[in-house]
Amino acid sequence: MTTQHLALPARRPSRAPRGKRALRRNLIGWLFLAPAVALIGIFTITPFVQAILLSFQSWDGVSPDTPWVGLDNYDFVASDPVFWASMRNVLFFGVVGFVVGNGVALGMALAVNSITRGKTFFRTVFYLPGVLSVVVVGLLFSFILAPGSGVLNRLLGLVGLGTLQQNWLGDPAVALPVVAAVFVWFHWGFGFLLFLAGLQDVPKELYEAAELDGANRRSKFRYITWPQLAPVTSIVSLLTLLAALQIFGTVQVLTNGGPGHHTMVPTLAIYNEAFVNWRYGSAAAMSVIFGGALVLLSVIQLAITRRRSRA
Amino acid sequence: MSSRMTERADAMSVTPGPAGTAEGPRRAVRLDKVGLYGLLGVAALIALFPLLWMLSGSLQSLTELLSNKSLLPADPQWGNYVTAWVQGELGVYLRNSVLYTGSAVIGILLVSSLAGYALARLDFAGKGAFTFVILAVMIIPAPAMFLAQYKLLISLNLTNNPVGYVLILITSGIPMSTLIMRSFFVSQPRALEEAAALDGAGPLRIFWNVILPLARPGLAAVAVIQGLGAWNEYLMALVLFEDNSLMPIQRGLTAFTSAETPQQQILLAATTISIVPVVIFYLMAQRHIVKGIGAGAIK
Repeated sequence: MTTQHLALPARRPSRAPRGKRALRRNLIGWLFLAPAVALIGIFTITPFVQAILLSFQSWDGVSPDTPWVGLDNYDFVASDPVFWASMRNVLFFGVVGFVVGNGVALGMALAVNSITRGKTFFRTVFYLPGVLSVVVVGLLFSFILAPGSGVLNRLLGLVGLGTLQQNWLGDPAVALPVVAAVFVWFHWGFGFLLFLAGLQDVPKELYEAAELDGANRRSKFRYITWPQLAPVTSIVSLLTLLAALQIFGTVQVLTNGGPGHHTMVPTLAIYNEAFVNWRYGSAAAMSVIFGGALVLLSVIQLAITRRRSRA
Repeated sequence: MSSRMTERADAMSVTPGPAGTAEGPRRAVRLDKVGLYGLLGVAALIALFPLLWMLSGSLQSLTELLSNKSLLPADPQWGNYVTAWVQGELGVYLRNSVLYTGSAVIGILLVSSLAGYALARLDFAGKGAFTFVILAVMIIPAPAMFLAQYKLLISLNLTNNPVGYVLILITSGIPMSTLIMRSFFVSQPRALEEAAALDGAGPLRIFWNVILPLARPGLAAVAVIQGLGAWNEYLMALVLFEDNSLMPIQRGLTAFTSAETPQQQILLAATTISIVPVVIFYLMAQRHIVKGIGAGAIK
């Protein structure tokens, strides 16, 4: 703290350095940044701009010709029932991931934080699904949830709940919640780890003081744990929401968007539009609409977080 | 270790106390604990069940697996693993994945530690602008870009090509890793660098000989988190690779599923093989992974 204060007046003149020394200093700085600048410029910013341009063009993925078509792609996407179904579905994934996923994550973090023995074991086990790939998760659950031979139906039969047996992934009414449940199984460990780390950072003295004041468990949570966790909660919320909204591989492997389009998600719709239907222009329009919505969401969330931390 | 032993001793001295005199509150506390561990146990079972079932299924014969008679293999079919390895060409896919993940991690470490160091320590014009760009780039989601990245790589003749794939992996890892490295360098003392500068060493020299060797904890956090991400990457691998001989393991698994239509127990064995490296890595580097995830999220 003090060193920073002391450093400030000394730094001011160096802020706008002049002459040869300044040039050298700037050169060295940008030399260190050069690889990052080159890669981000070529492989992130260029494609980002190209995606927007492509959404106003027509391209079949092969020919060198990409004629301009104005707003045709957007018109096409606007009346594409598959894409809008995918947007509705992913909203459902987002809400379930947000509410159920974060709820389970926080609950389990509180539970693990309050035990003395087996902490490491539970932490290890709870995050284990999180290190698997989306392909592995999709494959595993496509077997487990299979209608005839699947182990879930078999287990339900064994414990006398045969009436609950379902065609989990084939029935339009249950497929969407089931895929959402798979997402939660896969992803809640992430929020759990961050919540647990956040809980361990809450100063013990706060609880001790509250106990002296005769606070019960609920009010300790309400007035100490919850406010102390707020920064973690907001970042976990955003990251879980973004992960749920960008779900792709799990869905592709598990249901490929089916039955019908009942589990279709935007990233898969974009992929299919381009690599199955060979309509890259309208796929680009979809990615601009969907990507734009995600960017907007992040910006709003970050703005809220910043305002809250300032207040 | 010793503290755990004493805890256990305490617990043992408490438990065999005369049951008749157990007071209300204490019993409530104990019931509470039982409930808590019960809840955690159920959650652990749900987290582990699919994996245990996969292990068991990968050792069953097809008839046994489809009949679902028992949860454990009656007569373990170790041959399933051989069939999966050979039929699924898993050796090729795993080698590719190791290669891509390794190169991506090395690239990310180099690029992001250079950039992170510059942001933390060097003074130059445009620093704020670069930081802003990095933050903005982090917000752009993959679904908004993968199409155009594919188009770009076509024009660079880098589709179906390891170099193109690794460059994409490196680029997507840079922003977060740079911010992690920056905050790591900020937290380090300056004394050694200043001493080296007084000895007349230039910035690059200082970075390479003094800074980088000391940055190991930061580099480890970045490496594990980006390594996991690269190993599990699927979307770009799906879009970019056509030749099976070039595919990483995740893409290879889906190629195996769809092209050969192998029997279920063979696929389970293949899936098990595919997660062995990552699970071992997780169990070994758990501390770093937990730290890395925390650092990555908070930046």
